[in-house]
Amino acid sequence: VYVAGSHPSPAANYRQPFRFDFVEARVPDPESRGDAAAPVGDRRQFLTWLSRAFLGLWAVGAAAVVSAYVKPPRRGEGAAERTVRVGLLEDLPIGEGRLVRHGVTPFHVIRLDATRIVAVSAVCTHVRCILGFDRERRALICPCHDGRFDVNGNVVSGPPPRALPTYTVSVRAGEVFVHL
Amino acid sequence: VSLPPDSSPRPRAGLVEWLERRVNLTEIFSFLTHFGVVYTPVDTRQPLREEIRSIAEQRIPAFAVGPRILGLLAAILFGLQAVTGMLLAYYYRPTPETAFESTRTIVRDLPAGWFIHQMHAWGALLLIAVVVLRLLRFYWDGLYRPPREILWISVVGMAWVVLQFDFTGHLLGWEARSYWSTMRGMEVIFALPIVGPILAYLLGGRIVNEDVLIRFYILHLLVLPLFYAAFLYLSFATLRRVGFSPMPEGPGTRTTTFRAHLYTMMIISVIAFGLLVTLATLVPFHFHAKADPYSTPEAVRAPWYMLAPYGLLQGLPLPSWMTGLALVLIAFAVLLMPFWLREERNAVTGRRLRAAGIAALVVWIGLGVFGALLDRK
Repeated sequence: VYVAGSHPSPAANYRQPFRFDFVEARVPDPESRGDAAAPVGDRRQFLTWLSRAFLGLWAVGAAAVVSAYVKPPRRGEGAAERTVRVGLLEDLPIGEGRLVRHGVTPFHVIRLDATRIVAVSAVCTHVRCILGFDRERRALICPCHDGRFDVNGNVVSGPPPRALPTYTVSVRAGEVFVHL
Repeated sequence: VSLPPDSSPRPRAGLVEWLERRVNLTEIFSFLTHFGVVYTPVDTRQPLREEIRSIAEQRIPAFAVGPRILGLLAAILFGLQAVTGMLLAYYYRPTPETAFESTRTIVRDLPAGWFIHQMHAWGALLLIAVVVLRLLRFYWDGLYRPPREILWISVVGMAWVVLQFDFTGHLLGWEARSYWSTMRGMEVIFALPIVGPILAYLLGGRIVNEDVLIRFYILHLLVLPLFYAAFLYLSFATLRRVGFSPMPEGPGTRTTTFRAHLYTMMIISVIAFGLLVTLATLVPFHFHAKADPYSTPEAVRAPWYMLAPYGLLQGLPLPSWMTGLALVLIAFAVLLMPFWLREERNAVTGRRLRAAGIAALVVWIGLGVFGALLDRK
């Protein structure tokens, strides 16, 4: 029963300092855990379970909303961007290659001779470094681990595990298009 | 090595006790609950479970339960604003070219983006309501008198900070109406003497451009949250020191436990959250058009909390520096009220102070209505 004026001051609440003796806890014997097994009403247990289930459901809902929102959105993969205009055919001399900086799928367009043009991905299959085109060797060389590919995307040497993807090239009215 | 027999009752050996031997959990608990839950002294020398139990069993006067919900709500809503704000910041880009487009992407294209945006907007409004109600409640109950001066200052400071949160946050979407509403608000701020030029300097100039936008962004995300958290910490720290408000005399005072009090608070918090979700879903804020610095839309007003100062500045036949100076003095008079209002509080003066407070509030609301009607054609 509360009696006015007997409300303890903060200072009076101070207890003796508590100190841990630094000994690892031992396994408690079964008798000393008797208080945990005190009789508890079924209704109380049910209500506890119910409120935990409610909180759990709420947490699942919140996690679903947040994870749907946080999921990295895919950008630049629409149908309109699957055909890339590279440039005029006459600007690409025989034996030259050009890096096209197209979103997450950059690629090299290489003119092999008067009639043949290839488009090869510029992303190394090893750790996604950007490959450089070596005109003398006619090879794609990775600056990170010196992996080498030929102009058809096959692995010549080095650590890359797979061949590079290649893309279809078409020439219309003197302009080069690549279909991703 | 043989150990002396240990007869003291120990808590069950588990993760908590394992941690307790390595870090002072009660210290951490005490620090964290400074930002919101516990406003009675925490003895950090006790182990965590025992301390929580003894806090929960503390008897507190029953009348103290209801009004105290506002402090906890101010903390919970701030936490919610921090979470939703962080999620919005994942996709937001603070430049005039990209601010509107990135916000539109959040609202229109991302899954649940509209919900997070609306929760942030409505949460802000609810937070302002809670903080302002808390300020009114502190005035009503005279909780600015010694030894609660720091408490009053932190409550007033929180009210200032939430309004600045609102002001800086509105510009970030670079939406036409909020952009021009910010322009009108800047007009009010820069009319104040002394404070105006200082703020114009700090906010990046008098023209709302990319410099202002990035400063508002940093203020909104970094500077103001730090101030808000500091005020929250200060108000709970001083509550722990000075304790509950004095109890009425008499043996009939009803008491309850802190545990029961916490349950009440949890229930009210859940209701507040439900209210927030309902409002965010059913009454969403509009998000229309990108701001065009070369075209002002019709009937744009300053933000609602600036309408009263605007009314005062425009309505009085005085030079604006005089009314501006009066406004600055009023603001600081409210902040420093415990130091000049030294009247002994008894039944008579208490009634008089409450009446004065109501009169001031009515005048302020009247000025706001006047300010809102000023520019109507």
